[in-house]
Amino acid sequence: MTPDQRLAFAERPERRFALAMVAPGVLVLVVTTTFPLLYLIWQSLNNINLSMPGMDRFVGLENYARMWNDMRFWAAFGFTLIYTGATVTLQLVIGLAMALLILRIPRAQWAFRIAAILPIVLAPVVVGLIWRSLLLTPDFGIVDFASRSMGLGSHNWLGEPTLARISVIAIHTWQWTPFVFLYMLAALAALPAELYEAARIDRANAWRRFVHITLPLIRPTIVVVVILRMTVALSAFAAIYAATGGGPGTVTEIINLYAYRVSFAELSLGYGAASAVVLLALTMVVAGVLFRVRRAA
Amino acid sequence: MRPGAARAAMRGAALMVAAGLLLAVWVVPVALTLLTSFKNEKEVLAYPPSVVFEPTIKAYGAVLTGPTNIVPNLMSSLIVAIGTTLLTIVIAVPAAYAFARLRLPGKKPVGFYVLATQLVPPIGLIIPYFLILNRVGWMDSYRGLILIYLTFSLPFAIWLLVSYFEDIPREMEEAALLDRASRWQAFWHVVLPQARGAIAVTVTFVFLNAWNEFLFAVVLGGATVKPVTVAMYNYINTEQTQWAQLSAAALVAMLPVIVLGILAQKHIVSGLSAGAVKGVSRR
Repeated sequence: MTPDQRLAFAERPERRFALAMVAPGVLVLVVTTTFPLLYLIWQSLNNINLSMPGMDRFVGLENYARMWNDMRFWAAFGFTLIYTGATVTLQLVIGLAMALLILRIPRAQWAFRIAAILPIVLAPVVVGLIWRSLLLTPDFGIVDFASRSMGLGSHNWLGEPTLARISVIAIHTWQWTPFVFLYMLAALAALPAELYEAARIDRANAWRRFVHITLPLIRPTIVVVVILRMTVALSAFAAIYAATGGGPGTVTEIINLYAYRVSFAELSLGYGAASAVVLLALTMVVAGVLFRVRRAA
Repeated sequence: MRPGAARAAMRGAALMVAAGLLLAVWVVPVALTLLTSFKNEKEVLAYPPSVVFEPTIKAYGAVLTGPTNIVPNLMSSLIVAIGTTLLTIVIAVPAAYAFARLRLPGKKPVGFYVLATQLVPPIGLIIPYFLILNRVGWMDSYRGLILIYLTFSLPFAIWLLVSYFEDIPREMEEAALLDRASRWQAFWHVVLPQARGAIAVTVTFVFLNAWNEFLFAVVLGGATVKPVTVAMYNYINTEQTQWAQLSAAALVAMLPVIVLGILAQKHIVSGLSAGAVKGVSRR
């Protein structure tokens, strides 16, 4: 036996053991995720309407063609991009600013760490319902009360199109900024203090220290945070569902809500499946691009 | 005081005010829920909103013992969350160990596959599951809901555990192998005890995510399986919202996850970023 062969021989039991350890997990994922997704793609090529049982038939790309001409779908597609872009940007900017701020008051940090956990652990549907009722109801909600007290007047926060869009973005941002804050706090605390000393001696002001030292150092962290937050924003559902249900009309529909309403309110599952396939593709493209950016960062 | 010192003090005060405001933004909605849950339904609609009022536990009475109480729903959530957690841990721990430690053909693509399944938007799964579960008669069943919960809990748990397994020193395990322990014995008697903390963290987050889930539960559940996230709608309908009861129910539903969140405080960052961070780059 050559040494190589002997090594291969010794490895064989380890390999078999490793396979046995991994197999159940991979098998379950194939059955629970991959098969249903293949079925989803098949569904998207069929006309399936629950209000007309027994009328299912293969229609090829008809659902996709219909989607191409569906203004409501494109509006949902557009708002998905706005929603994702806006919530991720806001979380990142506010979360980072807060982390920089709180880093300078070490004595109060514990309070923020605890407070930050509250929104993160709540069920998005509960968050949506609380905002819809206790915060945003005209007259009785605390946000509306604050707005009136400041002389800005009472508003129909979830009923007026532009405001409704801003509100659902605000709700998502409220819930997830604390996570970015905690993440950034950990990253910033790990930065070498000596660099800042040197910069201070060089009389660099705070802004320049931030731009020239902090930002380059935490760039990989920022990329990771963007990946995490984007994938979560792209699969957001419950908070919008609870707050506006996609309304007024269809203005706060992101693709998730659109697909849900088409499938389970209008009962056309084949068409809903097609829009879900588009979202799936969009998510994979975004993730692919971000992972590439990440490798470069 | 020198002018410089005065300016520094001013800046310090401004810092504290800004920090206090930010803190309020996070705490107020939760505190408001707590406050509202102790009001009666008339007090809720007072304008301006009352802060001083006679507290009552009527809303909690309704939510826990009334005709629309959420106790069965809490049980439902508990069953689904515990079932999901147990299954997930049993399947994910060995897989994560193999990914972190063992030579495995095709480790990179398989690992990437697991990671990719984590990115699948739930809406893409709920549509096929709806038809499949209808066909096999698993609608409104615990089996059905737990099955679909595995789609998000399993990849998450595997990647979270991989990152922890990688941090466990190899020495003890190698010593056991030199003592002619089998791979399985080394895993069971040496590695698992060392991984207890990691498993506890994973259990916490899997439970939390399962407890909070809504979309799958609202579509695939029904009269038998109706988790507490869905039951919130008992108190909200088109005619009127019972604010105090909704608040009390929300608070009861929140309590376990807030407690878990605070217990797992130190791990929340790693717990919520499993996979996307470490995974792909390392292998």
